[in-house]
Amino acid sequence: MATATPQIVDDVHAGPHHPSHLQHHFVSSQQQFEASKLGIWLFLMTEILLFSGLFVAYTVFRTWYPESFDAASATLDASLGGLNTIVLLASSFTVALSIHMAQRDNQRAVFINLVITVILGAAFMVIKGIEYTAKFEGGAYPGGFFDPHGHHYGHLANVPYAAQFFSVYFLMTGLHGVHVLVGMGIITWMAIRTHRGEFSSSYYTPIEITGLYWHLVDIIWIFLFPLLYLI
Amino acid sequence: MAQVSRTAHEEGHHHIVPVKTLVIVFAALVCLTVLTYAASRVDLGHYNIPVALAIAIVKALLVVTFFMALKYDSPTNRLVFVMGLVFVAIFLSFTLLDMYFRGDVSNVDPETIRDMQLQEETVKARMPTAPAAPAVTDSSAGAAQTTAPHTAPAE
Repeated sequence: MATATPQIVDDVHAGPHHPSHLQHHFVSSQQQFEASKLGIWLFLMTEILLFSGLFVAYTVFRTWYPESFDAASATLDASLGGLNTIVLLASSFTVALSIHMAQRDNQRAVFINLVITVILGAAFMVIKGIEYTAKFEGGAYPGGFFDPHGHHYGHLANVPYAAQFFSVYFLMTGLHGVHVLVGMGIITWMAIRTHRGEFSSSYYTPIEITGLYWHLVDIIWIFLFPLLYLI
Repeated sequence: MAQVSRTAHEEGHHHIVPVKTLVIVFAALVCLTVLTYAASRVDLGHYNIPVALAIAIVKALLVVTFFMALKYDSPTNRLVFVMGLVFVAIFLSFTLLDMYFRGDVSNVDPETIRDMQLQEETVKARMPTAPAAPAVTDSSAGAAQTTAPHTAPAE
């Protein structure tokens, strides 16, 4: 500590208000907060690039086989997809509310909003599960496992490259679903830490960056819904 | 307002997005979702895809601007976000350029190689004896994509 510039030592470590959450390699809470946010934004960009690989694959396959994609896309239930969009948007809203409440030092409201978010995430996965089950029963598996039968999917057997659509569908929604599950886990952890009273309006960085991650998962679904279900 | 800015100052300039703003943004997002669903039920011809994408982009911008509060965030984070989008644009546009114009750099014909291949396929499809459509069971397998006619390199 003696190696640091004298006035910084005074500011941070010698003062009576040195907060317990502040790590030694940061000058101030504000600097620590901004470093964390820059870190999560960089991570979110790698996430966008990860998903962009699938979006590019979708664009290329769709350009090659527009009729096959139209026919296969028509078998998806746009109402369930739309419902899931609203569910995920609502969960984004509750996360944004929880951060607002954290800034206002209302820990009880933070906890309630985080719990609602996890419940909405679970509702999203249940609806997704209903959709997947219907597809598995109709043999609408991805790639080489594609074996459509029954009145809903049977006609796809005569559509060339329809399997390609379901490969893209399961990869995109599957990878997104994994992100939702991870997010639910982290938000549960945040709710527990809020309940323990670890956060306040002067330190809520973990909730803030968890929220940013959850919003990104929401944004990816905002694009998946029209691309897969509507057009 | 004065209370908000004073609180923000005490906490190190963190901007607090008001609940009212959050509610309005959420309502707008739900309305846009209903709108995009309704628009997809109407046949707009070639405009269905641009309309759906435009609505999705507006929704994503609303989430980024207000829910993620990038509007009130540091310029560094905005730069990171914009650079991410730039790289996605490069990824998508160069892949599509390759798809549409592969081999055309040395092509002296007025038509692109892809157009010529598409015309060849149309002609083949009209001939009753030609194996126009690939067998369905084969095409279902993943191997089909490597032998897809559009991808055949022009060289």
